[in-house]
Amino acid sequence: MTVAQAVAAHHVYVPSWPAVAASALLVAACIAVVARERLGLAREVAVATVRAAVQLVAVGALLAWLFEHAGLAGSLGWVAAMVLVAGGVSARRGRGLRGVRAVSTTAVAVAVAVTLGLLVVTHAVTTEPRVLVPIGGMVVSGALQATSLTLLRIRDAVSENRPQVEARLALGQSARQAFAPQLRAALRNALVPTIDTTKVVGLISLPGAMTGLIIAGVPPLDAIRYQIVVMYMLLGAWAVAGLVAGRMVEHTIFDEAHRLRPLLRHGMTTARPSRRPARNRS
Amino acid sequence: MEVMAAPVFELDEVTVTRGSGATHSHPLSQVTLTIGTGRCTAIVGPSGAGKSTLLRLLNRLEEPSTGTVRYRGAPIATYDVLSLRRQVGLVQQRPVLLGDTVLDDLRVADPALAEQAATHLLAEVDLPVEFLHRETPGLSGGEGQRVCLARAVAVRPEVLLADEPTSALDAFAANAVEQVLRGLLDRGLTLVLVCHDLRQARRLADDVVVVVAGRVVDAGPAARVLDEPSSSEARAFLAGVS
Repeated sequence: MTVAQAVAAHHVYVPSWPAVAASALLVAACIAVVARERLGLAREVAVATVRAAVQLVAVGALLAWLFEHAGLAGSLGWVAAMVLVAGGVSARRGRGLRGVRAVSTTAVAVAVAVTLGLLVVTHAVTTEPRVLVPIGGMVVSGALQATSLTLLRIRDAVSENRPQVEARLALGQSARQAFAPQLRAALRNALVPTIDTTKVVGLISLPGAMTGLIIAGVPPLDAIRYQIVVMYMLLGAWAVAGLVAGRMVEHTIFDEAHRLRPLLRHGMTTARPSRRPARNRS
Repeated sequence: MEVMAAPVFELDEVTVTRGSGATHSHPLSQVTLTIGTGRCTAIVGPSGAGKSTLLRLLNRLEEPSTGTVRYRGAPIATYDVLSLRRQVGLVQQRPVLLGDTVLDDLRVADPALAEQAATHLLAEVDLPVEFLHRETPGLSGGEGQRVCLARAVAVRPEVLLADEPTSALDAFAANAVEQVLRGLLDRGLTLVLVCHDLRQARRLADDVVVVVAGRVVDAGPAARVLDEPSSSEARAFLAGVS
């Protein structure tokens, strides 16, 4: 079944292009508010609006081609491209850590492989491009956020919590033992947002996948099945990405004599100054 | 530059270089030194002279770029580094507490530490038994530093390195920590102390090493170095702070 046929089968209402153009009136309202309050953001609003439209039209056209012609290999290629982009974006959060691009890309890739692989094997999702690509996008996005938060927290630990780590090293602890409290804190930091989101899902917001299915005419009790899979998938992706990033970066921040290396110089320029008292728990 | 006594550490032409190209620096340059066993050696010098770098070479938290550091006659790099750090403990400038309670903190050094043994450790640093279950955020600077000392000696090191352990404390707390250091020395521990206070160096140290701009400019028995420094750089430094 083609996408158009699927839409037709579910009697989905999709806004016409004139209706889409009419919705730009709301952008005009936004620009009016920005101008009236002299926020100096009118140009940015206009640029963002045009960019969003152009990007979405381009992605829509690409996805339409992908869904119709690319098959499984094309879908996996698309997911792989998303992984590479996500790895690059996430690496910026860990500037100053050695080999951070390889770490972040590997963390996202492993999280995607494990999560998507498990879902496919258990038949929770199919390998059709129209399923694999958006679900892959969600996993990549979750893994990206987990990796970024983990790397950011570890970088801060290297620059700010050095006395706590060195106090443990000086007691004869190995690098892994001495860094364990910092890594635990980083992983907690990375996982808490998605745990909180999972706790309140459906209560304070209707999540995107479920909303999309309901709009497409899928009965709510069927739509939530997809949403449950998505939430559990994101929890898994966040945990795997955070753990892989943490464990990999742990090897790069210590040398063979269990010494904590300083951040690379170009990374120091973006490190926040330490405001933490020396007696913080580690 | 020789400090007399059976050596626990010997440094031979040690240089530490940081960075590379036009931005490189030498926190330590061509340092040759021996540090005696069972004695207190104070390392003194102006801020940024390389005192802490010198201290951290002795438990391999720093590595020499060139030259050799020997521990008990063997190159320090030939020892298992984790085992070495249990033999050569370190107390940092500011109290760094690692557990929620004093007992938890001591158990970071020795997870199997029994309460009775922990009580003995507290006695060694002049803290009463009631401190065992005190929460560490409520400790004063001096109490925290004494807990750090107790934690450092919990692994029964042969040498204790102390990096200006009283510089962040008020006079009363500094005196209490100094008394604890004196007690540890009396029990045979070797102490290497980075020290900002020459009066403290005179009270505690058997030997004094003067470091200026990354170089050892004098070393020897405390009374001789402090009263009759042998180099013009040492004389200038000691005259400036006394």
